Amino acid sequence: MAFLLFIALSVFCYSMVRKIQLLQALAPANRADHLKTRFKNMIILAVGQQRLIGRAKERSSGIMHAFIFWGFCILLIRSLMLYGEGFQKGFELPFFGEPDLLGYLYIALKDLVEGIVLVMVIWAIYRRAVVKPERLHNSFKAYLVLVLIGILMVSDLLYDGARFNLVQLPNLSSDIHIFNNPQYGPEFLWAPLSKAAAALISGFSAGTLSLLLVVMFWLHICTQMVFLNILPYGKHFHVITALPNVFFKSLGYPHEKAKLLDMEDEDAWENESLGLNHIHQLDWKQALDLFTCTECGRCKQVCPTYATDKPLNLYDFNLNLRQELTDNEAAIIQRAKLLSGAEQSGHDTDTLKEEVLALNSEKQLVGDVIAEDTLWACTTCRACEEVCPVTIEHVPRIIGMRQGQTLIAQSYPKELNPALKGLERNGNPWGIGYDKRDEWAKGLGVTKIADNPDVEYLLWVGCAGSFDDRAKKISVSLVKILQKAGVSFGILGVEEKCTGDFARRVGNEMLFQMLAQENVETLNGYNVKKIIAACPHCLNTLKHDYPQLGGNYQLIHHSEFIEQLIKEGKIKLNQSMKGTVTYHDPCYLGRYNDIYRQPRSVLQAVSIDEIKEMDRSGKESFCCGAGGGRMWMEESIGTKIYLERTREILDLQATTVAVSCPFCLTMIEDGIKEMEKVDTVRTRDIAELVAQYMV
Amino acid sequence: MAKVLVIADIKRGEVKRSTAELLAKARSIGAETAAVAIGNNLEALIPSLVSGGSDSQYIADDPGLELFSAGPYATCVVDAASQFGADQIWFASTENSKAVAPKVAARLGVACATDITDVAYTGDNIEITRPAIANKVIQRVKINSEKLVAVVRAGAFKMTDESTAGSENVIRLSAPPTDLGAVVKELIADASGEIDLGDAAIVVSVGRGVKDQKGIDLVKGLADDLGAGFGTSRAMVDSGLMEHNKQVGQTGKIVAPKLYISVGISGAIQHLSGMTGSQVILAVNNDPEAPIFNVADYGIVGDLFEVVPILRQQIKSIQR
Amino acid sequence: MKILTTVKKVVDVELTIRVESAAIVEEGLQYVMNAWDENAVEASVQLKENNGAETTLVSIGGDDDNTQIIRRGFAMGIDNGIQIDDPLLAGADSFVLARVLQKVYEKGSYDLVITGKQAQDTDNGQTGIILAENLEIPCVSNVVAIDVIDDELLKVTRLGDGGKEIVELKLPAVVTVSDSINEPRLPQMRGLMMAKKKKIEVMDLAALGTSFEEVGGSDNRSEILEFSRSQAREAGKKYEGDAAEITAQVVGLLVNEAKVL
Repeated sequence: MAFLLFIALSVFCYSMVRKIQLLQALAPANRADHLKTRFKNMIILAVGQQRLIGRAKERSSGIMHAFIFWGFCILLIRSLMLYGEGFQKGFELPFFGEPDLLGYLYIALKDLVEGIVLVMVIWAIYRRAVVKPERLHNSFKAYLVLVLIGILMVSDLLYDGARFNLVQLPNLSSDIHIFNNPQYGPEFLWAPLSKAAAALISGFSAGTLSLLLVVMFWLHICTQMVFLNILPYGKHFHVITALPNVFFKSLGYPHEKAKLLDMEDEDAWENESLGLNHIHQLDWKQALDLFTCTECGRCKQVCPTYATDKPLNLYDFNLNLRQELTDNEAAIIQRAKLLSGAEQSGHDTDTLKEEVLALNSEKQLVGDVIAEDTLWACTTCRACEEVCPVTIEHVPRIIGMRQGQTLIAQSYPKELNPALKGLERNGNPWGIGYDKRDEWAKGLGVTKIADNPDVEYLLWVGCAGSFDDRAKKISVSLVKILQKAGVSFGILGVEEKCTGDFARRVGNEMLFQMLAQENVETLNGYNVKKIIAACPHCLNTLKHDYPQLGGNYQLIHHSEFIEQLIKEGKIKLNQSMKGTVTYHDPCYLGRYNDIYRQPRSVLQAVSIDEIKEMDRSGKESFCCGAGGGRMWMEESIGTKIYLERTREILDLQATTVAVSCPFCLTMIEDGIKEMEKVDTVRTRDIAELVAQYMV
Repeated sequence: MAKVLVIADIKRGEVKRSTAELLAKARSIGAETAAVAIGNNLEALIPSLVSGGSDSQYIADDPGLELFSAGPYATCVVDAASQFGADQIWFASTENSKAVAPKVAARLGVACATDITDVAYTGDNIEITRPAIANKVIQRVKINSEKLVAVVRAGAFKMTDESTAGSENVIRLSAPPTDLGAVVKELIADASGEIDLGDAAIVVSVGRGVKDQKGIDLVKGLADDLGAGFGTSRAMVDSGLMEHNKQVGQTGKIVAPKLYISVGISGAIQHLSGMTGSQVILAVNNDPEAPIFNVADYGIVGDLFEVVPILRQQIKSIQR
Repeated sequence: MKILTTVKKVVDVELTIRVESAAIVEEGLQYVMNAWDENAVEASVQLKENNGAETTLVSIGGDDDNTQIIRRGFAMGIDNGIQIDDPLLAGADSFVLARVLQKVYEKGSYDLVITGKQAQDTDNGQTGIILAENLEIPCVSNVVAIDVIDDELLKVTRLGDGGKEIVELKLPAVVTVSDSINEPRLPQMRGLMMAKKKKIEVMDLAALGTSFEEVGGSDNRSEILEFSRSQAREAGKKYEGDAAEITAQVVGLLVNEAKVL
């Protein structure tokens, strides 16, 4: 036993050490803060399997996995007992021994759990092989692991079964150790399933039973050791890495923020390390994410681009990256060794640089590992991240690769050029003269902050709200509401520039930083503290990206603000809107900023009828297709995302669909126009509805 | 009396309307007029030059001038101008004349003004008016040189009700040397039978509202019914659905017909600057907020696929 | 092959242009590279990338906006930059500018001059053609495609009145380009960074080896007397409702009121 254990553990340690070395060799990421919150997340999400059993869709399969996982955890104690048995006959764990009630309770629990796990495993195999859910990939390894778990359960039950049978036989009973406590009774009273197993094999001779005992014991041990050692290779690594992966997930913002690149750094240009160009540029958390992917396919399933036949298949995406990582494992570790040992080894800088360069992974991530179309199809909606049971952060990798493409490879969809040029020249993607930015406000008596810097709130209008004819109506409605409520607010007017959201999401750090710096200077110059925004993209960027450049403001979405105004009685609404009404959750408001309730509360305040929810709503809302810079690109592959969402709205037979984002407004209205349902359903921003029903 | 030489605008063997417009304007400022025609097989065109209002006709008729080449054409104009003693030399605005006019001015050592909308004598000086900065401002320009070469914006000079015909007085010019530096090897002509946008009294333009070829064909039908020129917006050219030579707009053709009908065009500034010189504008668009309605005299808000067939019906019944 | 590309700074035509006291109000205006010259720069850089040409940019004007557009040219890939900075040239007309460019051309040795066919502020479209006349070299304008046959011959496609002309152009020559020729690239970060370090050769008329008189500076053939705002066209009437009804109504108006049908 010792020998076996030694071999197994050595191999396992070696594998783990390699993996850990790999993580250490990659770029740093600071995830050591807020330990308490991290621990809590780990308990709820990983241990508690919240995203599996908490999700209404596919809850049954979630429960199935949860039981396998919990069973696994519970049976760890059993494993310890068995290993101990391998060394010393009659080995007992403290507190779980013969005299302890706990020991007996555990026996009962273990029995129950083994039965449940066995049933779940059989169901899982059935599900994979017969039901064949679309999102699952039936690889050899997937079946192998299920079978191994099955073997573990069966072998243990048969081991106990053999034990119980043998213990009945007079001349061998002293050799076989079972619990038998005068207070609690014999072991097999507490283990009905093992007893049933015993009954199953009771017909065999003593010799066979002894053999069976030994065989099942070692089968169990060996299977476990094999299992342990195949874990680091393949999707079942998640068994080990899932807990740490959830522990180290992003806090405060749903995923890692885009890196603020220093584009003046000459070395970075030479190394091609601006953005993610090669696999060795991932940080360790991103690599851990790749290790932890369980290949469940949920990300693929909820992805709007996958639903509309585009080449972005997150399952393949993750796996391709993981493969590339594995292929370059040795080189990455070696490279890190070289870099860290540079001083001691006495290499001169040039030779060192050359050696390091030689160890850089050759393949371009975009082009060789991931196709270009795949990269640009993403709308950064975060549906994938929201549904991932092990909290993998897909989107930052995509943004990182886009940064690399834009800066180093200088390759990006050229159809973005007019919008980028517009940002550069006139501070808005439409390229309309910056001097016309506040024309929408003519005659409304809106204060310019230049005239009165002491206003309490800054209303950030955004490019759409300033220049897009349809979205201007949102701005006008919002102004009406704020003025009615007597709110002290002002706008920047022509001093406002695009927040740079879409520039950042398409990887154009240059433009983003330029715009952000200018905006921060303007805002800080006026000592702005509180900002109300109608556009979730503006809100998100101002709130979460601008601190990187010295801009720290309190951001309030207009729906939050209006809800507050209603609560405070500063505006009164006539709750008289009739007809089926539904609400479309914008990705950047919901999944990025956790604002779901407020727009609904405001909407309900004007609607007589209750809000009818779409199937894909709230956290699982289906993207309108405009995020990630896609607003400025045509969808030339597959079907259209906005039509997909429009169909869902039309199926609901709503007469009003409410939104709280100008992009969503545009996309959905376009969809309704295209499907020629303009007369049946109207699209409105929350602000427009409130302004309409305000008394 | 000033002398104005008008370069005849000839396309596919016809003298275009703009020539008569320029001659009429020349008369209206009291000038003696002459026309110069450059090309091949021009005999048949002389009567239209006369009736258009020129008192002398300079003809450079040579097979070598069949295909346009800026150098030789400029030589002919300079030749005619010298022989006539022209004070002003006017071209109608086309791509070719824009290539020739500066050459003529450089050779004669005189001023050159392009895209002019008006010309007049103020005392001894010639003054011209022209748009600038994407049509946003108007410049009033004093010409310091004694003579002027000008390219006239489409539709800037209108025919008057009383246009006096000229008299026949033909002077033949000798063929100029060919430009060996820039040799035209091939001309891929625009599809024949098409009504020229610059010349048409009615222009029908089609925009992105039509979505596809079927829509284009529908609107083309309307253009055919009216005998109108068929134009389009930049978006349609960029998407490959229409040819560039049909583009009306700042970077395409500037037109000023009697009636301009835009179908499914939203009215981006670049397009508007190509057609706001039209006498009457009718716009058809299903978006009541489309900027085209800000310049249209008559606007029909509706689905073009419904409206255009009805329009055609109505027009056909009027024509009967 | 050595290419000289001429670029002009123009006011951003997206802005509202205000006119006061017969002059354009400068306040709030920003200046950019003329759009057609962007096409010219792109065409030059493509010839550099595909045919190994050496490219030089020249801009007339000494202020920072001019410097910025030369740097933008660098960022797009241009090799050398010349800035003619002489206050006497303010207000120069196309003929004077063409003379100045002639001096620049003669100071170096170039095979091809590429320029945009017109400028967005003046819409004159003359300077390139006059330059060719001054240099007595051939010129093709409104070009939509340039192909190199060899060191001495180009094949260019011109959009003329009659259709597309395929022209064989002997070098040295001048080509003015249409916006249909290409999509100018946006300068990327790398280019912009390198552009900051590149040296621009700044010259006044004397350094260029000429004088104000020699370029005809005192004899502007035309001068702008005043500016005024264009009259915006007024909106007419919009008709909404039943398609058949309103169409009939409008057709009636076109016949009886507007008298155009």
